[in-house]
Amino acid sequence: MIVCVAHNIISPLGVTSAENYAAVESGRSALKRYDGLWGLPEPFVASLLDRDVYTDDRYTIDERIVIDSISRALKETTIDVTSSKVLFIISTTKGNVFLLDKRETGFPQERVRLGMMAREITKHFGNPNEPIVVSNACISGVCAQIEAMRYLESGDYDYVIVCGVDVQSAFIVSGFQSFKALSPEDCKPFDANRQGLNLGDAAATIIYTRKNKVDDYEWVAYRGAIRNDANHISGPSRTGEGSYRALKVALGGLNSDELAFINAHGTATSYNDEMESIAIERAGLASVPVNSLKGYYGHTMGAAGVLETIISMQAVDDHNILGTRGFDTLGVTHPIDVSNQNRATEKRAFIKLLSGFGGCNAALLMTKGGQR
Amino acid sequence: MMKHSVIITPEHVVVDGNPLMHSEKGSALLTELYRNNIGDYPKFFKMDTLSKLGFIASELLLNTEGNRSFEPREDRAVILFNRNASLQADTAYQATIQNPENFFPSPAAFVYTLPNIVTGEIAIRNKYFGETSFIVIDDYDEKIIMENLRNAFQDPMTTSIIGGWVDCSDEEHFEAKIFLMEK
Amino acid sequence: MDELIYTLKQQIIEALNLEDMKPEDIDDNASLFGEGLGLDSIDALELIVMMEKNYGIKLKDPTQGKEIFKSVAVMADFIAKNRTK
Repeated sequence: MIVCVAHNIISPLGVTSAENYAAVESGRSALKRYDGLWGLPEPFVASLLDRDVYTDDRYTIDERIVIDSISRALKETTIDVTSSKVLFIISTTKGNVFLLDKRETGFPQERVRLGMMAREITKHFGNPNEPIVVSNACISGVCAQIEAMRYLESGDYDYVIVCGVDVQSAFIVSGFQSFKALSPEDCKPFDANRQGLNLGDAAATIIYTRKNKVDDYEWVAYRGAIRNDANHISGPSRTGEGSYRALKVALGGLNSDELAFINAHGTATSYNDEMESIAIERAGLASVPVNSLKGYYGHTMGAAGVLETIISMQAVDDHNILGTRGFDTLGVTHPIDVSNQNRATEKRAFIKLLSGFGGCNAALLMTKGGQR
Repeated sequence: MMKHSVIITPEHVVVDGNPLMHSEKGSALLTELYRNNIGDYPKFFKMDTLSKLGFIASELLLNTEGNRSFEPREDRAVILFNRNASLQADTAYQATIQNPENFFPSPAAFVYTLPNIVTGEIAIRNKYFGETSFIVIDDYDEKIIMENLRNAFQDPMTTSIIGGWVDCSDEEHFEAKIFLMEK
Repeated sequence: MDELIYTLKQQIIEALNLEDMKPEDIDDNASLFGEGLGLDSIDALELIVMMEKNYGIKLKDPTQGKEIFKSVAVMADFIAKNRTK
C-alpha cells in the first residue's frame, strides 16, 4: 500500500502542517482585500504570502517555498534524497510565469520553463533523477499524488516527494478577472450568495512510500482517478460527468458509510459548486458531509490538491469534519450536506475531489490504517 | 503495445512512418493540414498553437485507426508531455496586460495558458471521458515518457492511450511525436 | 448605423477568430449564440473586452451580455447609445 510518511504546508496561515491545521480548525482565514497591488486596476481578495520574507537572490518565491516545504517535510524522516530511488514530482499550473513580465529582472528567462524550475529544486537537494512536473490545471495536486502512487506501485522508486505550488501574480489575477470569476469579497463555497473564487499562495508537500504492513495511525493513498467531462475547456459539465466518473472509480467497492467527508473543490464559482453537487449526488454520496477549504486559503491552484489532502488527513486524525468558512445557505440544486461549523466524526476515510479547466476532474480516496 | 504514430514538425509530417504530402511550413502547415484532413471543426481557429498541434496530430493518428464513431468512451486516456508547457499562449496573454496604457486582459487568450487544455480539446472532439493528463519535463526523454504511460494502465478502466510529445515555443516552432498505445 | 454594423462584424470576426467568415456571412438579426453563430461563454467574455477596448463601454454586470449579444443589430444599437469613444 502507498503510505504517507511526512507532510508540510507553507501558507499565509503557517509554515508547518500543524500550524495550518490549528488555524483552520479555529476558523482563521488568510483572505484579505488588495487594492492597486501589482498595478492591477481592479481590487481583489486573496490569500498572499509576505513577498519580503521569501525574497532571495538565488531562488524565485515559488522555488524558495518549495525548497522550504520539502526541507521541513524531510526533517521528519531519514530519507537519503540523493538516492536514485527517490523521485521528485512537482505540481504547478503557472510556476515562475511572472518572469514573462518584461519589467521583471534578476532571474534567467529560462526559469519560466516548469522543467527548469523543477531542476533547480532537485539540484538543491542533490537528487539525480529528472523531476516530473504535473501541469493539469487545478487538479494538478491530486494528479501528482496519483502519479506518485503509480511510480511506487511499479516498484521503480522507494520514495516519491510530491510538492504542489503556485504563487499569485498580475498574470493569474488579471486572467481570472477577465473571466469574471473572482469574488469581490471572501468566497462563499456552495452558498446561495456565492459570487466567485479567491486566489491564494501556497506550497504543500507529501512524501509517499510503499509498505506491505500499515500501522493503525498511518495514512494510505488508497485509490485515485482522473476523468474528463469531454464537454467544454472552461465550463464544467452540466451533468458533472467527469467528477461523477472520477468519484465512482476512486470509491470502488468502499461503502459510503465509511467516509468521514468529501473535501470538495468548492471554489465558490456558480458553475463549479453546482456541478460538484450533481456529481456527488449521481455517485450516491449525497448523505456524506461535504466541505471546502477555499474560505481559508483561497484557490491555491497547483498546491490545492496536496494542501487540502494534508488538512483533511489532520482533520480525520482530530475526529473533525472542518466547517466550510463562508457558507451559510445551500445554493446548489442538489441536496448535499454542507455546514459552516466543525462537526465530530469517528470515521477514518475521506475523498479529495477537484476539477479544472480543460474539463479535467480528479478524485482521491485516502484511508487511515491497514484493515480494509 | 504501440499501434500508430504521427510526427509533425514545421517542415515534415509523417504518419505511421510514411511522409504526408504538403506545401506549407510552420503555422501555415497546421492550417493546411486542418483544411485537407478535417475541415469541419471551426473551433480549431480559436485554439492556441499547442492545441492546434495536438488536435491535428491526434486527428491524423485517429484517422489511421479507422472506424471513427465519436461514441462516448471512458477506456481511452490522453496523456501528453512537453518542455515549454503553454509558453506560446502565456506570451500571447502577457502581451494583453504588459502595457498599463493598453491593459485589456483577454479571456480567450487566458483560457489557453494551461498546457492540459490540448488534452481537453482532444477529449471533447472524441467524447473521451477517460483520464487526461499533461506532464512537463525539461528535455524529451523516451524512457521517462514510456515508463509514465505504462504506469497509467494501472487505472482500472484505461485500455488505450493517446500519448507522446507535443511541444511548441512559439507559433512557428513546434514538434509533435504522438502515438496510440494499447495495454 | 449600417457602417457601425459592418465595422462591428469585422471586429467580431477578428476578436473571436472566426477565420472562415466574412462580414457578409453574418445576418444582422441572427442570434450570435446557440444556433446562429454558435458562440460560447468564452466568446461572450471576449466580446465584453472588445466593447471596452473599441468603444469604451464597461459592462458592470456580465449577465447583461445575454441581452446585448442577442444579434449584431441589437449590439450595434447598444453601442451607438452607450459608446464613450
